[in-house]
Amino acid sequence: MARHKFNGGIFIKNPYPIDKIKIVPAPLPSKVVLPLQQRIGEEAKPCVRVGERVFTGQIIAKTEDDFCVPIHASISGTVVAIDKQLTPHHSGLKSGCITIESDGKDEWIDTNFGINFLRSSKKTLIEHIQKSGIVGLGGAGFPTHTKLNNLKNCHTLIINGTECEPGISCDDALMQNYPQEVMRGIEILLHICGAKHVIIAIEDDKQVAFEALLKYLHNDKIKLQKIPTKYTSGAEKLLIKALLNIEIPSNSFAVEQGVLCQNVATTKAIFDAVELGRPLVSRIVTVTGSAVETVDNYTVRLGASFAHIVNLSKPNTNLHSVRMGGMMMGVDVDNLETMICKITNCIFVNNRQKPIKTQGCIRCGQCNLVCPVNLLPQQLYWYAKNENIDKSLDYNLLDCIECRCCDYVCPSHISLAAYFVFTKALHANKVKEQNKVNIARERFEYRKYRLARNKKEHAEMMAAKKAQLKQKMADDKTQKDKIAAAIERVKKNTKNNDDTSI
Amino acid sequence: MRQVIYALVLGIGAHYYFFGWGVFLQIVLAVAVAIAVESTFLRIRKFPIKPAISDGSAILTAVLLAISIPSIAPWWLVVLGVSFAIVFGKQLYGGLGNNPFNPAMLGYGFLLISYPLQMSTWASEFLSLPQTLNVIFNSSPVDALSGATRLDTLKTQLALGKTTDEIELYSVAQMWINAGFLLGGLYLMIRQVIMWHIPTAFIMGVVVMASILSLSNHQFYIPPQNHLILGATMLGAFFIATDPISASTTPKGRLIYGFLIGVLVVIIRTFGGYPDGVAFAVLLMNIAVPLIDYYTQPRVFGQ
Repeated sequence: MARHKFNGGIFIKNPYPIDKIKIVPAPLPSKVVLPLQQRIGEEAKPCVRVGERVFTGQIIAKTEDDFCVPIHASISGTVVAIDKQLTPHHSGLKSGCITIESDGKDEWIDTNFGINFLRSSKKTLIEHIQKSGIVGLGGAGFPTHTKLNNLKNCHTLIINGTECEPGISCDDALMQNYPQEVMRGIEILLHICGAKHVIIAIEDDKQVAFEALLKYLHNDKIKLQKIPTKYTSGAEKLLIKALLNIEIPSNSFAVEQGVLCQNVATTKAIFDAVELGRPLVSRIVTVTGSAVETVDNYTVRLGASFAHIVNLSKPNTNLHSVRMGGMMMGVDVDNLETMICKITNCIFVNNRQKPIKTQGCIRCGQCNLVCPVNLLPQQLYWYAKNENIDKSLDYNLLDCIECRCCDYVCPSHISLAAYFVFTKALHANKVKEQNKVNIARERFEYRKYRLARNKKEHAEMMAAKKAQLKQKMADDKTQKDKIAAAIERVKKNTKNNDDTSI
Repeated sequence: MRQVIYALVLGIGAHYYFFGWGVFLQIVLAVAVAIAVESTFLRIRKFPIKPAISDGSAILTAVLLAISIPSIAPWWLVVLGVSFAIVFGKQLYGGLGNNPFNPAMLGYGFLLISYPLQMSTWASEFLSLPQTLNVIFNSSPVDALSGATRLDTLKTQLALGKTTDEIELYSVAQMWINAGFLLGGLYLMIRQVIMWHIPTAFIMGVVVMASILSLSNHQFYIPPQNHLILGATMLGAFFIATDPISASTTPKGRLIYGFLIGVLVVIIRTFGGYPDGVAFAVLLMNIAVPLIDYYTQPRVFGQ
């Protein structure tokens, strides 16, 4: 058991438990839709055309942005459309997608580029991981190669085998079914990061997975550790606190402090990429909820629709509310036609219920007891509700990890985290606006300064010239005589003229 | 809120046992007025009435005020007090959750300042139902049956120059009523309706301040144990200071808030001109809540 702990968090029972966790391979989808926009970073640019034939594992879109990973075709077939479609995102906005229609053959592009990791350099491996399209499969979708590139003096590698939220069992299923692959993946990561210790963190309700991994534990550096099944244990910084008692500062990343944290599914994906040369084209997804008959885990190709696997779980015919991700932090989606992407770890299909009426906040303080980062949600709510950004920042708005523990315990059923997310967006907007204003002001002020400087310089130049001329005149004696002569001449002329006029 | 009302039963029972029917009549009257005033105001503000009434907050305010005022107070006193509490203490600030002051104590303070005589005339023995009805609704003179509370008497005696050795420091009735509220409060703590911080700190504050005074001169100041069983100490510690809306909301802040109320209660009781100090102590600390909350924020993870 982990010796340390973080404050707050909540114990939530899995609402839809299953006795035996298995993985069901889903059939090949007839069509996949692959979004060009990953969770973070720039939108990828397609490098195939409509009508082109593609193979499974072929790169179909990429960007110059080194932060991002390329996008691979997850089935073989023909590109039928490159257009904007709805993706599972809080914003509900459309973004660019590539649609491929399957030819049913699942022909892979030449995948014999598996490499012997022990003979490869760190750089080659990281590049290979990037090329294979691997991002964090826990739910955040942070590009793995970026983590590896930013790693500084790594001392501990943590393999996150905790399910990020109650109800999800895809990581549990993966550990039970692919313990050897996970262990090999860990060896690869260990080779890259050179950590002294490896901790595999598993929640204490996953005994089967624990034993499965234990069978393949042959390295003294690697330690299996159980942690309490508490919600938000899966969050990287909190997991590190629970395991190592290190608090990663809020303006820093774990990798900068020498701790590398990777999800088990990511580890297995790294194994597939390095040893088998297979890019990330499928993942394990849990289908659960009150509206499905069987709760199961499916391996499914990325880009398949939710319906593709939900139908395998025999949903009832009621009205459903569909949610991607967990019951706590998931994203509500409108319908089952949404595509499965790299961060889709779970699909909740629930019978639609009437929304619960919210009441006023009575500042009971239940929320600050469960907040894993020690915020005061009740105070923050007061300011966030009134869109008071400055005061919200004072109450550490930006440290909110949006885990929704506060929503869960609120006796008045207030969606606190939604207010915080909204205020964060307002703040981001304000910062952007402020930056624009600052740039404009700087420009304007510089222009003013430049004009003033030009004027001053011009004046100085003229004055200098004048002085120079005066000096020249003063210095030159003959000039004076010349002037005197000239005056004389003029006078004379005028006089003569006067004479003639009379 | 409902739990809180249930937890009050023991204290109210003790009250009935010693002073008769008055407390029940006051509660019924207060609750009826509270519901009527709250509904009227919600209608004026165009808010849904049913959810606001059924959350029990107005009823709780009424009950707390009804048991704080003398059980033989004339009927218009409680009507005025509850109306003031609901209108000025709650609705004008925007309803549940927006009031900076404890509404019940605001009502109490209003009554105490405006009607000091009626507010300090307490029953001194058990009154039957007809007697009580007569006193409350006909305002018939009750001199024979009423008097100041023990705490009030003590203060007067001490002010007259008597020492604590010469006067009766205990009141059986007050002790049992306080015990009733203490048990009710412990029930709330076990059910986790209220957290331990405020009541514990409140009692600590009373004990510390009273001990300091008592140790400085035990003949002039009431000893701490008597402070605990007299007046509204337990009611204040478990039911009034713990009103989450007007109390401090951080764990550390709750300790400071509770402790300072306890200290203020003793100071007001000892040096002030009012029979008890809970109401004003709570109101004073309500004012300090935003400040306390701001400076007692817990350290955020990673900062």
